[in-house]
Amino acid sequence: MAKARGEEAEVDSALERAAELLGRARFPIFGGLFTDIAGAAAALSLAEKLGGVVDHGASTGLMRACRVMRETGATPASFGEVRNRADTVVVIGNGPLTRDPGLVEKLFPAKPGLPRPGDNKRELILLGGDNTKTPKGVRATVVGGKAALPELVALLGASLREGRFDVRDKALVAKIDETAARLRKSAFAVFVYDPAELEEPVLHTVLEMVRHLVLTTRAAILSMSAPGNGDGVNLCSTWTCGLPVRTSFAGAVPRHDAWAYATDRLLKTGEADALVWIDALAGEAAPRPKGTGAIVLSANSTRAAKDDIVIEVACAAGDHDAALYLPPISGIGMVKAAKANKDKPTVAAVLTRIAELVDERRAA
Amino acid sequence: MLIELRGGRIIDPAHNRDGVGDIFIEDGRIVAAPEGRTPDAVYDVTGKIVMAGAIDMHSHIAGSNVTLGRQLMPELPALAAEGGQPIVPSPASWGAYATGIRYAEMGYTTVIEPAMIPAHAIEAQVELAAIPIIDVAGLVILGNDDYTLELLRDGRGGGDELKDYVAWTLHHSKAIGLKVINAGGSEAFKFNDRQFSLDDEVPDYGVSSRAIVEAMQNAVAGLGVPHPPHVHCNNLGIAGNVETAVATIEATQGLPIHFAHIQFYGYGDGGDRGFSSGAPRLMEAVNQHKNATVDVGQVMFGQTVTISGDILRQFDGRRAASPKKWALNQGDGNGTGVVPYHYKSKSFVNALQWAIGLEIFLMAEDPWRVLFSTDHPNGALFVRYPEIFHLLMDKDERARWLDDLPEAAREVSNLAGITRELTLSELAIITRAAPARLMGLTDRGHLAPGAIADIAVYTEQKNKTKMFSAAHLVFKSGDLVVRNGKVVRVTYGRCYHVEPGFDAQIEKRVKTFYDRYYGVDPSWFGVTDAVTHRPDRFATIPCSS
Repeated sequence: MAKARGEEAEVDSALERAAELLGRARFPIFGGLFTDIAGAAAALSLAEKLGGVVDHGASTGLMRACRVMRETGATPASFGEVRNRADTVVVIGNGPLTRDPGLVEKLFPAKPGLPRPGDNKRELILLGGDNTKTPKGVRATVVGGKAALPELVALLGASLREGRFDVRDKALVAKIDETAARLRKSAFAVFVYDPAELEEPVLHTVLEMVRHLVLTTRAAILSMSAPGNGDGVNLCSTWTCGLPVRTSFAGAVPRHDAWAYATDRLLKTGEADALVWIDALAGEAAPRPKGTGAIVLSANSTRAAKDDIVIEVACAAGDHDAALYLPPISGIGMVKAAKANKDKPTVAAVLTRIAELVDERRAA
Repeated sequence: MLIELRGGRIIDPAHNRDGVGDIFIEDGRIVAAPEGRTPDAVYDVTGKIVMAGAIDMHSHIAGSNVTLGRQLMPELPALAAEGGQPIVPSPASWGAYATGIRYAEMGYTTVIEPAMIPAHAIEAQVELAAIPIIDVAGLVILGNDDYTLELLRDGRGGGDELKDYVAWTLHHSKAIGLKVINAGGSEAFKFNDRQFSLDDEVPDYGVSSRAIVEAMQNAVAGLGVPHPPHVHCNNLGIAGNVETAVATIEATQGLPIHFAHIQFYGYGDGGDRGFSSGAPRLMEAVNQHKNATVDVGQVMFGQTVTISGDILRQFDGRRAASPKKWALNQGDGNGTGVVPYHYKSKSFVNALQWAIGLEIFLMAEDPWRVLFSTDHPNGALFVRYPEIFHLLMDKDERARWLDDLPEAAREVSNLAGITRELTLSELAIITRAAPARLMGLTDRGHLAPGAIADIAVYTEQKNKTKMFSAAHLVFKSGDLVVRNGKVVRVTYGRCYHVEPGFDAQIEKRVKTFYDRYYGVDPSWFGVTDAVTHRPDRFATIPCSS
């Protein structure tokens, strides 16, 4: 099923119109990219052919994490290692539990895990979130108060190094010092955060805490994955062309710039003249920029706007098996279709077909 | 279509052949000279060198570990280009596409990715499938995983369960063989051990590195997997570690074993600086132990990034990071450490590492057991191979390089006294025939009828760097893919793996294990034909039992 200018249209004719529009485009964006690995690979391939840009709907956090990685590196642990071996888990802010409300239960299973370092009881520390209730069955401490999240992280960083800092809230100081002491005596401390919630300087402070701790003990971070298979799409971009999303293929070599190649900016300034909006994952909707007509590949065509060319596609992990980033394995895994349905084409199939049509038009 | 390569000098050491002749290709294979038929295409290669397509048996080209390196060091190609050759075609990219293109241009047609993480095998296979032209295979890592350690702790390592588990892991990741990286060391690191040697025991499990390697040797031999366990020893990169390497070689019970990138274990602790060449001692042991094969892991000067499942070693190595950044992924099993590194010709240690690698190649009595590698990207980027071939084949070129090194390094190196120059046949052994034989890829690495038509034709030149940087012609499975050093056709190859078979009970046990400890179903990370969307992507090679 397809739509053009609000009218029902044949899929073939929608594909032809999409190919015509993209063939003429000077600088198209492949945005949203709520899709599986095969869809991301096809989008990268078409963007490269057309000299366009790839971006993802959840790039804010991804781009921060990428830049921090590029500047100073990172020390992640797999979900399984944290679940089995961490004796101190510091959840920073609201992001982690908003992203995964069942996170604490997964990280603190009732049954004992694999052999782990040290003999501390496992403990959860909730740093700076709104959540003041501690989950049942888990040793937990809430460290918060009125201080803003960046300040709390900075205070903890200072206390961890036994540096001097001055804050009026003495109860908070005591909690911070207590937390820092716990971290120093931990055998494996892990900081859990969502990079979409923390600004880059805060991320650097967290990583510096880890680098300080590993001088004498074990420590790591667990970064929450981005919505919409963002981590999977970003990894796919990285192994395909060596660079993360927000990369342009307009020049002789691919160029990455988290600010310059953001979808919203490119649309607002008019630098981009076509948008391919991809929104085809089970259970998640890509936040669509307003006011721009697009070639929309969607598993839910009711989200389309009037000026769109809409091609209804199969839903990854809903209608077809899909390779996606899976947080429990901290990597890419295969998810079986909830209910296999071959009536609709996949994102990869549609983009590959558009690429063929673009080639045919160029040859003609 | 019948293709003839006419009149080239054919170098095929698998068949003791070095002489002028013709090669015929039909349906992707090399065929005997057909009587009474006129070829559809003739390539006159008179005066050219004709070899089988090269096979890289140890090169980190794909998987979550390599992509972690790309995330940390997107600037690698640009930095490497300042002192050597970038990974073309794009100096901004060390992605999958550029990798396949550049390998093909040098005459490589098969590459083995040596470190697939079991739980990330899907990513490794999807990445491998994105690399054009070359055929591939992957080695899967075990030995620091809790399932193996639990079996060994409970005294179940000698029975069928470990064998079944190894077979299941090979099947589940579609791997061609097993990799063991600092056996027990990465796990010990998770318990905050910062050193781990052959007889040290993993905390809580009480299992030694020696016991893990032995158990894996027995399991792999019992399964009849052609490639023996591919072992990265303990104490990599540490002065005096030649003793660890020799002890590990001597502990191998006469069973087949392969030691990876042994240059990094060829270090003595003699001399004023406590760092000396252990190559003579190491090669004495390698030459004696005919059950052992090695690849070298040659170092070249310039910018690179080191990527390794030996997180204990990488953690220690972070202090030498250049640029000053590093990533340590504490994953299930081995994990990955990524540390950028710049080998400098003016550094005593780096210069000696460079010399030790060449000494190892040139002290090998049997080139069939001392194979070529740089452990890309750890010792050097794979784009540097032609320079190394040049150094191995031309003693004057070595002398030129030696002149630039610090005097202290020259004094303690044995290299200046070695006059050996590898012949084209010996080069073809260490880059073609021997890797094919060692991996069980019997249909390649040679030029006899029946072999896959992977063929590299070079223009003979005194400057071997130039000669091997750009092949005159390259055929991949009978298709002409490179002409005059440039790719003329982009094809996609196959992935080779083994299927040794296992008792179905192991699937249930592994499922229970993953469910309990990880809350994960192993089917989530099992590689199926569907991961690449190419129906003939995977091909099985036989096991002997």
